[in-house]
Amino acid sequence: MSKLISLTIDGQPVEVPEGSTVLAAAQKLGIVIPTLCFLAGVKENHPSCMACVVRVNGEARLVPSCSTKVTAGMSVASETVEVKAARKAAMELLFSDHLGDCISVCQRVCPARMQIPAVIRLVAAGQMREAIALVKENVVFPGVLGRICRAPCQQGCRRSKYDGAVAIQLIEREVANQDSAAQEPYVPTCQPATGKRIAIIGAGATGLSAAFFLLKSGHACVVFDDHAEPGGQMRHGFSEAELPRAVLDAEIALIQRMGLEFRPGTRLGHDVRLAELREQFDAVVLAVGSMQKTDPAALGVETTTRTIRIEAANFQTSVRGVFAGGSAIRSNYDPARSVGDGRILAECVEAFFAGKPMQVVRQPFTSTIPKLTTEEYQQLAQGANATLSVRELITEAETAAGRCCHCDCRSANHCKLHHYGELYGADPKAFAGEHRRRFEFIRQPGGVIFEPGKCISCGICVELANQAQEPLGLTFVGRGFDVRIGVPLNQPLAEGLQRVGEQCVKHCPTSALTFAEDARNAVKG
Amino acid sequence: MATDAPQTDLTPEAITRFLEPLLVRTGRGQEATIPILQGIQHEYRHLPEEALRQASQRTGLRLADLIGVATFYHQFRLREVGRHSLRVCHGTACHVQGSENIHAAINRQLHIPENGDTTPDQTFTVEQVACLGCCTLAPAVQIDETTYGHLTADTIGAMVSDFLGNRQQALTDVDLIQHHQDHRRQGEIRVGLGSCCMAKGSDALFHSLRRTVKNFSLEVAVKRVGCVGMCHQTPIVEVRPAGGATAFYSKVGPAEAERIVRRHFPPPSLRRQLTGWFNRTLEGWVNPEAAARKNGHAALDFNGKPVTSFLGRQVRIATEGFGEMDPLDLDEYISQKGFVALGKALSSHPEANIAAITASGLRGRGGAGFPTGVKWARMRASVAVDGLKYVIVNGDEGDPGAFMNRMLMESFPFRVIEGMMIAAASVGAAEGFIYVRAEYPRAVSRLREAIQLLKARGFLGAKVMGSSFQFRVRVFEGAGAFVCGEETALIQSIEGHRGIPQLRPPYPVERGLWDRPTLINNVETLSLVPWIIRHGPEAFAQLGTEKSKGTKVFALAGKVDRTGLIEVPMGISLREIIEDIGGGVPGGKRFKAVQIGGPSGGCIPAALSEIPVDFEALAAAGAIMGSGGLIVLDEDDCMVDVARYFMSFLQKESCGECTFCRIGTMRMFEILDRLCSGKGVAADLDELRQLAGLTAQGSICGLGRTAANPVLSTLRHFLDEYEAHIAGRCPAGKCKGLIQYVVQDHCTGCTICAQRCPVGAIAATPYQRHEIDAALCTRCDVCRVECPENAVAIVSGGQPCTGHSRKEPRPQPLAHHE
Repeated sequence: MSKLISLTIDGQPVEVPEGSTVLAAAQKLGIVIPTLCFLAGVKENHPSCMACVVRVNGEARLVPSCSTKVTAGMSVASETVEVKAARKAAMELLFSDHLGDCISVCQRVCPARMQIPAVIRLVAAGQMREAIALVKENVVFPGVLGRICRAPCQQGCRRSKYDGAVAIQLIEREVANQDSAAQEPYVPTCQPATGKRIAIIGAGATGLSAAFFLLKSGHACVVFDDHAEPGGQMRHGFSEAELPRAVLDAEIALIQRMGLEFRPGTRLGHDVRLAELREQFDAVVLAVGSMQKTDPAALGVETTTRTIRIEAANFQTSVRGVFAGGSAIRSNYDPARSVGDGRILAECVEAFFAGKPMQVVRQPFTSTIPKLTTEEYQQLAQGANATLSVRELITEAETAAGRCCHCDCRSANHCKLHHYGELYGADPKAFAGEHRRRFEFIRQPGGVIFEPGKCISCGICVELANQAQEPLGLTFVGRGFDVRIGVPLNQPLAEGLQRVGEQCVKHCPTSALTFAEDARNAVKG
Repeated sequence: MATDAPQTDLTPEAITRFLEPLLVRTGRGQEATIPILQGIQHEYRHLPEEALRQASQRTGLRLADLIGVATFYHQFRLREVGRHSLRVCHGTACHVQGSENIHAAINRQLHIPENGDTTPDQTFTVEQVACLGCCTLAPAVQIDETTYGHLTADTIGAMVSDFLGNRQQALTDVDLIQHHQDHRRQGEIRVGLGSCCMAKGSDALFHSLRRTVKNFSLEVAVKRVGCVGMCHQTPIVEVRPAGGATAFYSKVGPAEAERIVRRHFPPPSLRRQLTGWFNRTLEGWVNPEAAARKNGHAALDFNGKPVTSFLGRQVRIATEGFGEMDPLDLDEYISQKGFVALGKALSSHPEANIAAITASGLRGRGGAGFPTGVKWARMRASVAVDGLKYVIVNGDEGDPGAFMNRMLMESFPFRVIEGMMIAAASVGAAEGFIYVRAEYPRAVSRLREAIQLLKARGFLGAKVMGSSFQFRVRVFEGAGAFVCGEETALIQSIEGHRGIPQLRPPYPVERGLWDRPTLINNVETLSLVPWIIRHGPEAFAQLGTEKSKGTKVFALAGKVDRTGLIEVPMGISLREIIEDIGGGVPGGKRFKAVQIGGPSGGCIPAALSEIPVDFEALAAAGAIMGSGGLIVLDEDDCMVDVARYFMSFLQKESCGECTFCRIGTMRMFEILDRLCSGKGVAADLDELRQLAGLTAQGSICGLGRTAANPVLSTLRHFLDEYEAHIAGRCPAGKCKGLIQYVVQDHCTGCTICAQRCPVGAIAATPYQRHEIDAALCTRCDVCRVECPENAVAIVSGGQPCTGHSRKEPRPQPLAHHE
């Protein structure tokens, strides 16, 4: 029975056995201290990441809590502004040398935030039903956008810097085509009715998209439009050649199958007034399209010269419970943006219902790969297919999908750097510098993928291999900024990790080590 | 051509034949890792894969660990290199004397390919070395074991052909051991043979003197002595004829040996041969003024003002007997009260010795200034489970711009060991290591020699000096890692690991080498100990200030007239050191600042030069005492560039373990580099301060925690220079991205600059004012240095950089092993 040591952390007293670390004492109090390079029982006394720093007894220097032993009467500061700033900075420095995209560029620049790499992986695997379901988590009109979207994703595609972008729009269109050709096109299961009712003004991309997501959540939606048919700009702004009406009609019909009520020929300010709607419905969504065709006075909300004024954080107008999006809040028309706004509006309305309407619209947290060299783009392109099981790619869409390099992170959901970075509000670009790791994509037998560019040199894998007495093992190579983890004499990783490869993947705090299979499961919004 | 061609038989059988005896010598444990790798590299000039594989198989050491260690230390190379390694020193003193330009010129002249480091014919591999510790020879280059100093772009070719043409077997210490007592009936001639002196040719001179003495059958001892300290005058010869007046000669070449010998020791048979002509010549030569005019070599008047100024304020404790004692003459050391202190310490109670050290006020000379007595007392109180404790001498003097410890180990090896043994006896240790950095081969060989001599005479081993104290000591050669000066990293290194500092506590005195209590003291600290024990703590405490007692050894280098190795009492002002001892800044330039404390230290501006040498006073000014490098900077030195220089050094030397240091130093370096290349923006200074603060508070070891000091001290004292850089101007005319070379109107069109320009940026237009093509110009400074009319000026931000008036012509370099 070892002696108990008393100390305080952020003023809270705690007793732990002699020899315990400050981290363990904090855990006992339920204080969450981020750790990246620490692994209990494996790597305990060799701190490196410094994400777990605390201040002891008010000293100027900070110490890593994972390796600092408690002493009697110790006074530890953990959740203070300065300590948290230092942890955040440690993570920002790590991000500055972490060559990885949590979210791929294509997905990041997609106004509708379609989960492009994940969709592509399903297509390449021939799982078209799963693919349409995943598409429709963000995009209600894949058939439409598959034809009229400006496809910024393809401009962002990293492969475009090497030998041409992946044909993402073609893939999206094919997914939609196959779905509409199916006997039972995909319709998501709606949540049980909530009893809430929402009035949506405008049956364009924004309004219908908002309706889709609200219906899916079990709310009732009534969509008003001054035209006889729903579709807005999608119906009236494109030729039949650009966008066949049948495609649009089919996709709208699917929303109507979810219970959408459409009131054609109804004009806000003339046939119906905002105040009435606000009384009759639990929330109102203004998706009235370009303000050039609308009389601002008729709306009943504050406007600027060309748009409806909204709170950027939650898309709420000057009237509580009334939200606006799409072309009504923007100076130009972009169908994908309108589709994306519909989903955001649905989220804002739901947050409003839940009583948490403050900060709804957020930029997703992501680390970013800077501009790569030609050789690196080549490496990246060679990594294409490597993440997927070998399968013959037959259709045009599958072939296109096979070209995707999967720049997105295969395990952003498990990445501790991502998790704590987001939690601490780190800015991954805060200390961006010129010197960085090289992009390398190393596929190992056994389905392990090693991306040294994402490694933060924590040494957990080195220690695991060492303790398992791997015959070859891993080692730190070099020193200083250029220190890397490698197998002796540049042998393949699989040679170095004959026993503990799986554990190394499991305990890697970033996605430097992943299983190729993780790719298929990687879905990140 | 060199006789020591690298071993090229890399067949497994040949490697086995080589490895077996090596492993017998080194042992096969983890602690043999670095010696094994050094042995392999010594044989093959790199670490062949097959040798590493076999070493792993034959020792059981993991290949992963061997590779980890081999790639951590600069000394080791995993790929084949040229037959000779040419190391360009980038120490602080060399940096401010233009080592970057020298390095570029060497690469150019040796036709080193763009992304390579080896000459196409595999003769030379050019490397960058952090500091050779020959700061008074700046800029310096070492080719294999031979050092060349005071290089210019013009003398590189001469250096290379000299090396390839005249190179002979290097002197070994064994050659130099002479029982000079037997040969000195007529007198004695002393020659300083420190590494710096040797780099300037004192060894060739030494041999020349010996030959002359032998040829004339004189009974004159030619004696090798340690560092004389007056690096600016080397090689120095001191002639002491029996019953005659002592004479000194400075900057003597081997050719002058005979004349010096004849002057002071004329053989009777030759006396008649001295014709009037010869006499006149000789008299003319030894006349200082005439000699100086004629060939730059002067008889040195030790009563003259420069010498008395240089020596006058110095107090010799650690360097007691400088310029007088043969480093490896044990009898002489004993005759100069050597081992009196150890004898006294062994007959006293250990606690009494510790009390004396505590009372003396001695603080660690490695930099941080921790009270030595307190450390010893803690060490003594620390209980070793199996009774084993260690003492380690920290001779890993890695600060660029510092060479005090090298000099002490080379010149006074017995004193270092005596101090170490007093420490060991006082704290209860029976075994010790002297950890010497890889770049100091002569210190290693002299210490090893000294240990052998001491063993033979019973000063080491069982029953030291007849007492019950036993002591065993080994020299451990570092392998090129600045961070190993940090004590926990040093321990890792001896144990055979990568030199990664460990979180303290536990401190080494509690749990150190192989988890046993370990006392680690700096070379200079221990060199002071015998004197303290002999003279008593009061005598030591009388010197210095309230909290900083005794003396401090400094390596005085940079833009100062009299460079050298000095020992001064604490409390002396920086101004006294620079102006009185050092003779001020040469060439009429303005003294701008002094860099003190190396990469952990700071720059103190001229305005604050009355600050005394005192741990606390220096810290208050934003610097630290550090280990003792003092680099004087003048108006030609850019303070942003100096900060960039140190950050570049630290970034390379960071062990790479903790985030703030590994990445933080790189990001700080990038910002400083941006500023120096004219791409800085105002926000950079905020980010620099932020990173400096983070790295200081969040790093694990001293390297990281002090890494920002050069930045913070220059930001504090020279903010105007940072702001000027952001505005697009380098006031000192140093930062290449911000300066242009222009030819002024008084150019005579002599075309010398055009001929010397290595990139053809100047058209040879005789009798017309030359023009420099700014797009082609690499700012190598050759044209400005070469212009006989002083017509090339540096302009920055549209204004001339007035500091760059013509530099003094440098003394000829080329001096080394005969």
